[in-house]
Amino acid sequence: MITVFFQQTLNGVILGSLYMLVALGLSLIFGILEVVNFAHGEFYMVAAFLTLFIMVKLGVPFLVAMLAAMLVMAVFGIIVERVVFRPIVGKPMINGMLVSFGLSTFLMNLALLLFKADPRKIDSGFAHITITFLGLRVTLERLLALILGVFLVVLLYHFIHNTKTGKAMRAVAQDRIAAQLTGVNVFRIYAITFAVGSVLASAAGAMVGAIFLVAPDMGWTVVLKSFIVVILGGFGSIKGVVFASLIIGLVESLGGGYISYAYKDAYPFLLLVLAFLLRPEGLMGGSKS
Amino acid sequence: MNRAVKWIGGVVLVVLVLYLPRLFSLEYYLHIFIMAAINAILALSLGLIIGFAGQVSLCHAAFYGVGAYASALMGLHFGLSFWVTLWFGGLLAGLLAFALGQLVLRLKGHFLAITTAFFGVLVTVVLNNWVDLTKGPMGLPGIPRPMSGSFIGLNFTFESRAEYYYLAILFVVMVSYMVYRIVNSRIGKALIAIRENEELAQSIGIDTMRYKLFAFALGSAFAGIAGAFYAHYILFISPVTFTIGESINILVMVIFGGMTTLTGPILGAVILTILPEFLRLAGALRLVIYGLALMVFIVWMPLGIVGTLKEFLSQRTTRSRTA
Repeated sequence: MITVFFQQTLNGVILGSLYMLVALGLSLIFGILEVVNFAHGEFYMVAAFLTLFIMVKLGVPFLVAMLAAMLVMAVFGIIVERVVFRPIVGKPMINGMLVSFGLSTFLMNLALLLFKADPRKIDSGFAHITITFLGLRVTLERLLALILGVFLVVLLYHFIHNTKTGKAMRAVAQDRIAAQLTGVNVFRIYAITFAVGSVLASAAGAMVGAIFLVAPDMGWTVVLKSFIVVILGGFGSIKGVVFASLIIGLVESLGGGYISYAYKDAYPFLLLVLAFLLRPEGLMGGSKS
Repeated sequence: MNRAVKWIGGVVLVVLVLYLPRLFSLEYYLHIFIMAAINAILALSLGLIIGFAGQVSLCHAAFYGVGAYASALMGLHFGLSFWVTLWFGGLLAGLLAFALGQLVLRLKGHFLAITTAFFGVLVTVVLNNWVDLTKGPMGLPGIPRPMSGSFIGLNFTFESRAEYYYLAILFVVMVSYMVYRIVNSRIGKALIAIRENEELAQSIGIDTMRYKLFAFALGSAFAGIAGAFYAHYILFISPVTFTIGESINILVMVIFGGMTTLTGPILGAVILTILPEFLRLAGALRLVIYGLALMVFIVWMPLGIVGTLKEFLSQRTTRSRTA
């Protein structure tokens, strides 16, 4: 009984680390470009398909394919920023939402057209290796998702806080014009932000494709949950996002296991309502509006 | 001169709208026109919330669905007439919006949009899973048609599309009139003040929360009425009609037409109901093209059709004045 609880908790943490990777990118893009990117989930979907095809066509191992997909998606992110998002920066927020919704519809249906609706699975080769630890069983694949999540978040934290580019990113997030005045190339920062966001989403997409499934419509629900993570975490805060994604992962896993699996997509919303009632300013305090 | 043009244009429009079922007697065309009218109600009411009060709601389709389900279930289980359940559909949607608004309308901008989007998802999840009530993804079949009746000597039986068409037009006219009256009243001025600068509005004594709630609840109630009409017209409803994708479709109609006008959302709804029908020829490519067109449109015409046209005309007049 207690083992089941810990098992569900572990699953929740792993799920949370996947949401975290998507939410971090969203939070960065949101903080720096002030755009809600509904298409972020589609970046994650495209990356999952890319990983799958690189593995199948080139016959390389999973991790190599994932890395290659991450690189390709970084370039993809830069192109998308330049072509789609830069023209609407500074315009009313609805424009940003609709542009990204258009991009999302475009990518999802293009994938549907090219790859058809039937879900596929990435065979990472790690799914059959099970590790037993204190009575908890976890596949190496799931453990890898957790390790990758922790590794990337530490890397991102270091990048944002200790490098010159990271400092410039924070400066643009705080005040675009002031940053520009001190000589920060804002457009370069936008491009880098999108590249970083795409890379993080790609890692999550590849892992989800291996643990769960790859399908053209996989991005849509994850992006909404990641938005909730961003709101709960209070944006601009990496710690907040990490904390909130763990909560969402746990709530979904434990709620799905103990209350009702059918309603698992509804729990994050209920959590959000609860958070508004208790802490209107966001879980981690101070939110910029 | 300008006034005369407006009058003649208005008369031509009225005659055209009334004569349309004769011009296009094919059931298929009439169906598209009826859907355009339903979408016009949805776009108008969302325009009130977004365009005038400045509150971005991404769950309009959820209230559309609540109205549809409420009215259909009352008709199916209690045998009540559409003319009664219609108002309950609107009332329930409005009350739900009022309750939700209390919670979420203190949020601003992106946060409000995302929260309402997730509320839309919640409603879809409930519609899909509360099988005892909604029959889940299977949907509700066999919704009764509106009871036949006579009106100024004309008998309506609601067996033909033309009758639904005229009823839909009546709804559009009524909702337009109400929104028009609201927008041109003190309430409308207060709403615009809130849209432009909420803090400033509050500082001059406008109870911003009350006005925001009013616009949100009333707009959502109109969506509920549109939903009731839809349910008793199609005679079958299922959760797929009321997803967040539909909410965004309605939003696109509002933006496409121009959100700070009344004609904009109606025009947007009509064009964006008819245009995608041509895209059916493109088959599977349809939504790919739609997504691409949406991106191009927003980047090139951020003010919408009516807004862009107005700006173009005002530029021309100022230019001719200075010349």
